[in-house]
Amino acid sequence: MAPTGATAYVTPAVSSSPAVVLRGLTKSFPKQRGWRAMFSGKARESVRALTDVSCEVRAGEFFGLLGENGAGKTTLFKILATLVTPDSGSAVVGGHDVSKEPSHVRELLAPVIADERSLHWRLSGLENMRLFAALHGLRGAQATRRIEELLALVNLVEAADRLVSGYSSGMKQRLLVARTLLARPSVLLLDEPTRSLDPISARSFRQFLREDVALAQGCTVLLATHNAEEAFELCDRVGVLHRGRLVATGATPELAREVGEDRFAIWIRPADQAAIDTLAARGVMREVKVAEPDAEGWSRIECDLRGGLDGAAEAIAFFSLRGVSVARCEPVKLSLADLLERVLARHANA
Amino acid sequence: MHKAWALIRSNWLAASSYKLSFMFSFGSLILSVVPIFFISGALQKTMADVIKGQGDQYFAFLVVGLIALNVVSSTVNALPSGLQTATSTGTLEAMLATPTSLSALLAGLSGYEVLLSLLRGFVMLVAAGLLGAHVAWLRLGASIPIIALVVLAHLPIAILTAAMVLAFRTRGPLPQIVMLASTFLGGVYYPTTVIPGWIESISAFLPLTYGLKALRPVLLEGRSLTAVWRDVSILLAFTAVTLAASVVAFRAALGYARRVGNLAQY
Repeated sequence: MAPTGATAYVTPAVSSSPAVVLRGLTKSFPKQRGWRAMFSGKARESVRALTDVSCEVRAGEFFGLLGENGAGKTTLFKILATLVTPDSGSAVVGGHDVSKEPSHVRELLAPVIADERSLHWRLSGLENMRLFAALHGLRGAQATRRIEELLALVNLVEAADRLVSGYSSGMKQRLLVARTLLARPSVLLLDEPTRSLDPISARSFRQFLREDVALAQGCTVLLATHNAEEAFELCDRVGVLHRGRLVATGATPELAREVGEDRFAIWIRPADQAAIDTLAARGVMREVKVAEPDAEGWSRIECDLRGGLDGAAEAIAFFSLRGVSVARCEPVKLSLADLLERVLARHANA
Repeated sequence: MHKAWALIRSNWLAASSYKLSFMFSFGSLILSVVPIFFISGALQKTMADVIKGQGDQYFAFLVVGLIALNVVSSTVNALPSGLQTATSTGTLEAMLATPTSLSALLAGLSGYEVLLSLLRGFVMLVAAGLLGAHVAWLRLGASIPIIALVVLAHLPIAILTAAMVLAFRTRGPLPQIVMLASTFLGGVYYPTTVIPGWIESISAFLPLTYGLKALRPVLLEGRSLTAVWRDVSILLAFTAVTLAASVVAFRAALGYARRVGNLAQY
């Protein structure tokens, strides 16, 4: 079942063979120290960015890495892109270890650098593509053909001769993706690709990523984001990173249901506390928060409903029997903070 | 080579997109020869004896020295600057993610500035020639390998500085030291023989000293390359030893940057 409110996308063919395998991946970075600490003879302190991260991403899968800032998402991506070496553990892409065979990994995997500054702004879109085609070893007619193909894919044919400095943020993001696809990578890394886009552009960009990139190009995609909605909308599976640890991994619908899909808001009048208590006692409602009634007497109740929509139907029927009016009942989208709180609570209980 | 050229071409396209600034830089370069012409003319009598064997005219002597110094400055600074810019804009991260060899990347990042300095040097030489500088134009071809060696001999300093940028995000003092020493002790404004006492011995460690000792007799007096073989040989040996050492240092810096997470951090 797709998460409620999510855009319906076509599901790509996911293979059972792993495209990326992480085993006990650990990475620390040395802390900056002052002059006194430098000569004190104490061992240099370090900050742990990743701790014992293990998971597999299957070929053709759209995998989301969800976590707050500083959770370790970018470090993990930089390790996969061979820009950072892990302290211990292993990361294998398409059968090649990132530490032992970095050049093979670079042929298979490509990070989409989401920062617009990583484009050459004083060059046209076409010239940016030509440069990176050359760096990927494409030449002559082969390069021209591939560039034309990708500019058409990202809908930038008409703007190809314009300087990139005149592009909108959405156009720059699409050019960044096209640039990355030049070498036909089998694994794509997307690090917060919609962070600089407005909500409408972000939605259309997400659709482009899912349908034109993952599906049409047949890529395995790893998406790092702190936007829970984005992860649940796009990904087949999601991993939740918290302070460098992978605290949960699961198929998106299951994870969404487990940690958030049962959360609903119901507007009732009057706020019949006895009815609410009865539903809570029966286990239909959990974690109930009742807001003060508004000017018209409607109270908003936010709660977990056992069984999701079935629980909502049961609660509405019960309120009606008790003569309580129900104006609205809708799922609540969890913020990343709520989601993390729930995942961590579940993690602690386990 | 194809990848390095693609980077050089992109840098050229980006630089030439600022059309007015690009044209103005060449215009001001030509004009800058005029004061050199007058000042060197005033000093001609004083300098005539000390520059013997390196051209008979102080104006030409000085122009060649300044051209070489500009080329050295570009060689020493282009790579670290290119690397710093590419790091801060994020293009380095994108380029490192492509299957491009390190040598192609380094040549591509610095190539445009070095080639531009050579072009500027040629324009300056032509402007000086128009003002009456005694240049052995027929020996221009023979001077190219010497200039190329001057560039190669200073490349290790650029690579070491780039290694510092990669590992510690700072250039360190090396390029300033080399440029300062080359400017005052490398034989740009006067032959190294006039430098007093022990300070002169420092010039023996500067590649520009040998570059200019080889370049001026060929370009200003029309001598052959075999006439300056000793200085050319020293330059070659200097290049071979320091280039190998700098490549080792750069690889070490790259490994360090990957470990501490400095690479592509902006």
